[in-house]
Amino acid sequence: MRRVLEVRRATRRFGTRTVVAAAKLSLIEGRVACLLGPSGCGKSTLLKMIAGLESLDEGEIRINGAIAASASRALPPEARGVGLVFQDNALFPHLNVRDNVAFGLARQPRPQRLARVNRLLEQFHIQGLADAWPHSLSGGEQQRVAIARALARVPALLLLDEPFSGLDEGLRETVRDALLEDLRRLGATVLVVTHDPEEAMAIADDLILMSAGRILQTGSPEDCYRRPVNLIAARLLGELVVIPGAARGGHVETPLGPLPAPGLRAGPVQVGLRPGAILLGGSGPEALVRAVRFAGDGYRLQLQIDDLVLTVTDRQAPPAPGDRVRVGCDPSQVVLFSPGGQAAISARLP
Amino acid sequence: MLAPLAGVVLAALGESGADIPTRDLVRYATTTAVLAGLVGLVTGVIGAAAAWLVVMHRFPGRDLFAWGLALPLAMPAFAVAYGYADLLDVAGPLRVGLREWTGYDLPFEIRTTGGAAFVLSAAFYPYVYLAMRAALLNLPGSALDAATMLGRRGLCAFFTVALPLTRPALGAGVALAVMETLADYGAVRFLSVQTLTTGVVRAWSVYGSTVDAARLALPLLAAAALLLWVERAGRTGRIHESGKSSWRSQQATALRGLPAAAACGFCLLLITAGLLAPAGWLVAQLPLADPDWTRLWRAAGNTVGLSAAGAVVTVGLATLLALGGRTLPMATRLASLGYATPGAVMAIGLLAPASLVWALSAGPGAGLALGLLILAYASRLMAAALEPIDAGLARVNPALPQAARNLGRGEAGTALSVSLPLARGSLLTAGLIVLVDIMKELPATLILRPFNFDTLAVLSSNYALDERLGQAGLPSLMILALSAPAVVWLTLRIESPAQELSR
Repeated sequence: MRRVLEVRRATRRFGTRTVVAAAKLSLIEGRVACLLGPSGCGKSTLLKMIAGLESLDEGEIRINGAIAASASRALPPEARGVGLVFQDNALFPHLNVRDNVAFGLARQPRPQRLARVNRLLEQFHIQGLADAWPHSLSGGEQQRVAIARALARVPALLLLDEPFSGLDEGLRETVRDALLEDLRRLGATVLVVTHDPEEAMAIADDLILMSAGRILQTGSPEDCYRRPVNLIAARLLGELVVIPGAARGGHVETPLGPLPAPGLRAGPVQVGLRPGAILLGGSGPEALVRAVRFAGDGYRLQLQIDDLVLTVTDRQAPPAPGDRVRVGCDPSQVVLFSPGGQAAISARLP
Repeated sequence: MLAPLAGVVLAALGESGADIPTRDLVRYATTTAVLAGLVGLVTGVIGAAAAWLVVMHRFPGRDLFAWGLALPLAMPAFAVAYGYADLLDVAGPLRVGLREWTGYDLPFEIRTTGGAAFVLSAAFYPYVYLAMRAALLNLPGSALDAATMLGRRGLCAFFTVALPLTRPALGAGVALAVMETLADYGAVRFLSVQTLTTGVVRAWSVYGSTVDAARLALPLLAAAALLLWVERAGRTGRIHESGKSSWRSQQATALRGLPAAAACGFCLLLITAGLLAPAGWLVAQLPLADPDWTRLWRAAGNTVGLSAAGAVVTVGLATLLALGGRTLPMATRLASLGYATPGAVMAIGLLAPASLVWALSAGPGAGLALGLLILAYASRLMAAALEPIDAGLARVNPALPQAARNLGRGEAGTALSVSLPLARGSLLTAGLIVLVDIMKELPATLILRPFNFDTLAVLSSNYALDERLGQAGLPSLMILALSAPAVVWLTLRIESPAQELSR
C-alpha cells in the first residue's frame, strides 16, 4: 500500500476564481484511480498541476514521498517522473510511431532505446505500426501510441486526461477494457480523469469525486455509489430523483410509502431514488399512469402520486394511460439526505 | 533593435554641420507626401482590382496571373526606374520613333514626381495585390453566397460585401506600399526626385553630416509610426484572425468574350508595367554592355552571402523573440516600428554607435561593418520575419510542447525538437521574405557597407548614376533571377497555409 502520489491542500486560482480548492488525494501503487467530475470542475487543471504544467498557489504535491511542487518551488515537468496522456493524445505529427515512443528516451544509448521501444510497441500490440505516421492511425491506435510513449520513461504514475472521450461509441468499451487490462498487467499506477460516471465505475479501483474545484469523496466505486457524502456526490454517479420525506419513529414517510430508518432523528429529510428504486406492483400507494412510451429495453411510464410526478422504467407489459397501479420502493436503491442536501444522513437503509 | 531608432533621435539633437535650408526640408517633405499619396492611391486601386479579378473570376491565363502578378516583387524598384527612364526618355528610341512616325509626343515626363509615382506604383502594387488576395481567399464563402442570393452580384457584391470585409487587408497592403515608397532611395534618386530619404543619404554622403541626416529622418520616422498604426489597426479586424477560417474555394464567375479579354488585358498590363517592360528593356540593352564579369560575380556572391546571413540572423532573432516574447507584446510592437523605418534612417541611426566601435577597434573593421549592416537588416526586417513565425507557432497544438516537457525535454529542447520543426514552413517563409528584401535593399547597404564591398544593388546603382544603363541592367536582372523563385514560392504558399502541419 505504498502511496505514489499525495496531493495536500492543493489550490489554484485564475485571477479571483478558485479553480482547484484545497484538493486532497493520494494514489496507491499499482492501482487505477478515477477522478470523476463534470466539465469545468477543475479536474484537468488538477491533472496539469500534478504533471507540472500548472503551478500551485497553495498546498503541496508529493511524488514517491518527495515534494514535487509547493507554492514556493516546483520541479519542472520533465523532472517529475509523471507520464501524461493528453485528451487528443498530442502525438508529434512530424515523427513516426517509433520516434514518438522513443522521444522521451533521448538520453539512452541507441540499442537500449530501440529495445525499450520495441518492447513497448509489443506490450501495446502496435508493433506493426512502428513506421506509420500519427495521422494515419485510428483513434484507438493513436491512444496506444500515446500511452506507450508516456510509459517509456517508466514514470512513477500515469495520468490519462479524458482518454476515451474521442473514441467511437461502439468501440469505446472494447478499447477501454483491453487497455486497462494491459495497464494492470504492467502494474502501472494510473489516474484517469473522466466526466462519465459509468466509465469511472467500470475502470476505477479507487474513485475520487470532484465538483466546483473541491474533492467531495474518495473510496471504492460501490462505496461512493451506495454511500455518497452528499447530494452533489450522489448525482455525479448517476441519475437520482429526489422526493421529500419525513423521519418519524424509526421510519421515513414518503409518497411511496414508509421506508425503514432505525434510529433516525425525527424531522424532514430528502429521499434520493436511484433508477431502480421504484417498483411496480408493490404494496405501496396507488399511482395514476399519465403516459406510456416504448423505450427499447422496456417501457417508460409517467406516474402521478398526489402532486408528485415520477418516471419509471419497467420491462413488463405496460398498463394503459389512465390506469391506476400500485407502487413500492426498493430500500437498497434509496439514499437519505438532510433537508439542504449537504450531507447524507443515514448511511444506507438496511 | 532599439539602438538605431534611439540613435536617430539622439543624433538629431546634435550640432548642425551643413546648412540645409528649411525651405528645402519643406520641399523634400512635400514631394515625399505627394509621392506617398499618389502611390498609395494607385496601388490601392489596381492591387485590389487585380486581386478581385483573379480570385473571383475565371478567364484565360488566370492561374498564371495568380502568381505572375506578384512577380514584380522580385524586381528592385530602382531597376524598374532604370528601365522606364531609358525607355521613356525624351531622347529615347521609343519617343523619337513615335515623334517621327506620328508627329506627336507623349505628354509625359518620367523624371518628375508623377513619373516616380508611376514607377513606384508599378513596382509596389504587389503588396496590395497579395494582401487583398489572401483576404479574399479567406472570405467566408457564405458571405458572398448570401449576397448573390439577395441579388447582389459582380461589382455590386464587391463594393457592398467583399470590400467592407477586406478593408483591413487593403489598408495593410496600402500601408506597406507607402512604407516602401518612403524607404525607396534607388528609384527616386535616379529619377532626380528629391524626397526625405534621398535627403537623408545626401546629407550624409555629400555634407557628411549625421545630424542633418537624422533631422531629415525624424519626419520619416513619424510617418512610419503613423503607417504602422494604420496597419496594426487594420489587422485587429482581420477576417482570418477569427479562429479557424472555414476556407473554401469561392465560386468563381466565368468571364467570356470582351470582359474576359479586358480582365486578361488588365492583368497583363500590370505585369508588363511592373516587370516585363522594364526588365525587357534592360535585357534589350544587354548587348550594348561590356560586363565586368569578375566584379559582377563577386557582387553576386556578396549579395547572396549577405542576404543569406541577414536572413539567418533575422530569422534566428525573430524566432527567439517569438518563443520568448509572448509575454512581452511591447517588444514585438517595437520590432514592427523597425519594419516601417526606412533603411536609410536605420543606417543613420546605427552610424553613431558604429563610429564609436570603429574608433575603439584597430584594423580595417570590414567584418565589423558587415556585422552592423546585418544588424541594420535585422532591425528593419524583424517584424516581417516575426509575423509568419508567430503565426506558425500559434498554429502548433499547445499540447505538443507540453507533451515534450512531460517526456523529459526542457524548454530549449522542446523548442528544438517540437515547436520549431512543426513551424519550419513558417521559418522558411520568414527567411525568404527577408532574403528577397535584403537583395533589393540599397540605402542602408550604401551607407554601412565596408569600402569596396559591392552588392548587386550597389553595383547597379553606381552604374546607373554614371549613366551606364546597359551595365546597370545586368546586376538588376541578376537580382530578379535570384529572387523570383522565392517570390513565386511565397505566393503559392498563401493558398495552402493549412497544409503545413499535415504530412
